Amino acid sequence: MRPGDYITIAFRNIRRQKLRSALTVFAVVIGATSVTIMLAAVFSLKGFMTKQFEANGTFQQVAVSPQTDITWDDHNNGDNNCPTCVHLTDDLAAKIGTLQHVVGVARQTQVGQFQALQYGSQKLRTQQIISYDANGVIKDTLLAGRDIAASDTDGVLTISSDYADKLGFKHNYSALVGKQVQLIAQGWYNGVGVDAIQQFKAQMTWSSTHPGQDGRDYQPAPVSLSAKIVGITDATDQNYVIRVPLAWAHGMEETQMAQITQADQDAAQAKCRNQRTPGNCNSQPVPSHVVVTDELAKQGYSSFIVKTDESTNAAGVAKTIRNTYKVGAADAQTQIKQQLGIFNILGAVLGGIGGIALVVAAVGVVNTMIMSILERTREIGVMRAVGARRGTVSALFTFEAALLGFFGGVIGLLIGYGAVLIANPIINKQLSGNNISGSNIITLPIWLILGVVALTTGIGILAGLYPARRAAHLDPVEALHYE
Amino acid sequence: MVAAIELKDLTKTYHLGDEVLNALDGVDCTIASGEFVAITGPSGSGKSTLANIIGGLDKPSSGTVLIEGTDLSHVHDRQLSDYRNKHIGFVFQSFNLQGTQTALENVMLPLVFSRMKPKARKARAQECLEAVGLGDRLKHKPSQLSGGQRQRVAIARALAVKPSIILADEPTGNLDSARGEEIMKLLKDLNKQGITLIVITHDMSIARQADRVIQIKDGKVGRA
Repeated sequence: MRPGDYITIAFRNIRRQKLRSALTVFAVVIGATSVTIMLAAVFSLKGFMTKQFEANGTFQQVAVSPQTDITWDDHNNGDNNCPTCVHLTDDLAAKIGTLQHVVGVARQTQVGQFQALQYGSQKLRTQQIISYDANGVIKDTLLAGRDIAASDTDGVLTISSDYADKLGFKHNYSALVGKQVQLIAQGWYNGVGVDAIQQFKAQMTWSSTHPGQDGRDYQPAPVSLSAKIVGITDATDQNYVIRVPLAWAHGMEETQMAQITQADQDAAQAKCRNQRTPGNCNSQPVPSHVVVTDELAKQGYSSFIVKTDESTNAAGVAKTIRNTYKVGAADAQTQIKQQLGIFNILGAVLGGIGGIALVVAAVGVVNTMIMSILERTREIGVMRAVGARRGTVSALFTFEAALLGFFGGVIGLLIGYGAVLIANPIINKQLSGNNISGSNIITLPIWLILGVVALTTGIGILAGLYPARRAAHLDPVEALHYE
Repeated sequence: MVAAIELKDLTKTYHLGDEVLNALDGVDCTIASGEFVAITGPSGSGKSTLANIIGGLDKPSSGTVLIEGTDLSHVHDRQLSDYRNKHIGFVFQSFNLQGTQTALENVMLPLVFSRMKPKARKARAQECLEAVGLGDRLKHKPSQLSGGQRQRVAIARALAVKPSIILADEPTGNLDSARGEEIMKLLKDLNKQGITLIVITHDMSIARQADRVIQIKDGKVGRA
């Protein structure tokens, strides 16, 4: 038989039982549509997210975290001494900065002492106050004003746009730039902006008026630091975030201890000696000296973000940092790849559901073909009598089954494409609503189109094998007399 | 005359459970090229089995089937199918036409399997239909034709591949006697053109028209 004859005869037979063929194809269509939509959605989203991370430069970054040790040591208990811990110090940052492929290191920390942000009479709770080197390693998306600059030392900050919204500056962020706000610390804050000696005196005064309470319930007065808003950052990058210059963060995290020196004690005793009634002297020594400890420099930063020259070098740099300095170091690529691996699993699961639909469809094809062969037994007998070989009969029926699968795949793809056309505008709206750039992110890659058609056609062929074999092995004599 | 068909010690055994049925039990016979032979016998005598073996639809249990010098008893499906396609034209009692297709398409069917080009196929099929007097019924479906016309289409289909043998199994069985006569006349005309004609029948009036009658009884060739 000529190739064209297979097509002609197969088409004619499919047309002959229109409803039955249509129902069989319909089952394949359901499977093909679900496989198409699910795989297209999963792989497009994965690709979209990968692109987003690449655009952010995240793949070039390595996040360094301190080495901590949770082993309790009785000999060191109560002490901060942890011999195996490695802090993220300025010294370490400088060393990492000299490594090959490293183009910049941003020291990063959180400031935990300030609970409120006050603008005029409005007071908002702070969520996180962060600080990092203004060296371009970590990028902010600014909606108004300017970013924190390397030259900023204190008295300035940026806030995320959701704060600005709360303060009533929605759609008018630039109006908030240049405004003064207060960062308010309640409780035992003793960083920059606190007069430690005054605080000591205040506590002493409180204790003298509250005898027997041992100063336990003493509440220091709230401390507020004044700052000018220089910029509004995009809340979709990070929400409810306040950023301050790193130098200021050092000040906020420092501890000031009022210390009573020998001279202070001598002064107090001298005061008593000068009193008329010795033995009943209640003159307490007053500290005149304050010891300032830069805790951030001492305890280290919470993390470093290291920028490498190429995203392909990030994993290697992370490894070098881990091995050389015994600190945690993770490149975004490795991490994100693991996270995106979820999409692979999701794709496999969803594709599997479509696969089950296709298996059911295959059973439908087998059934249709067996029915068709039963009905056409006499016809097969005639075909054999006038010279059709077994192989020809087999190929003819296999081709017919393949055609059912092929049509199912093509129609399924068309419906899937229609679903993509409907879904994309909806997703576009969502994306633009959340200020994420990107449009028509779901695509039907050529491999998916070819793959789905090949899959359904292949399923048709597999489903046709048994019925075709049955047709080919019919006894022509019996087939000719089949009623 | 040259022997077209030589059958030697042909047996065909069917096993029906424990029962062994000898449909053919040592058949020897020779049919010359261009001969018109009638095979007769009561039903169940084995005449259809014999015809099926000659036509290459069935294989004997033992013995040899020589058709124009080629032994068919041991060939594979491929050769047997090709043999049916090239050398044999079947005519059945119940016509066995494809109801959904036109007369022309029915006649073209054997040519599809001989890989003839579509244009040549159509021309040849038309030629055959004209030869059986149905040149004006090309686009008719079997349901639109009378019994006699249907059998003519079947004969045209048998003729399509220019066979050397036409095997007709009760060709007039479903027709009235007048139509039957017409069909027999058509077959005899083809025989006169040199085609070996084998007619299986239990109708003695048809058998008498043959050059020779082979009578089968209980799987054996009897005397005519």
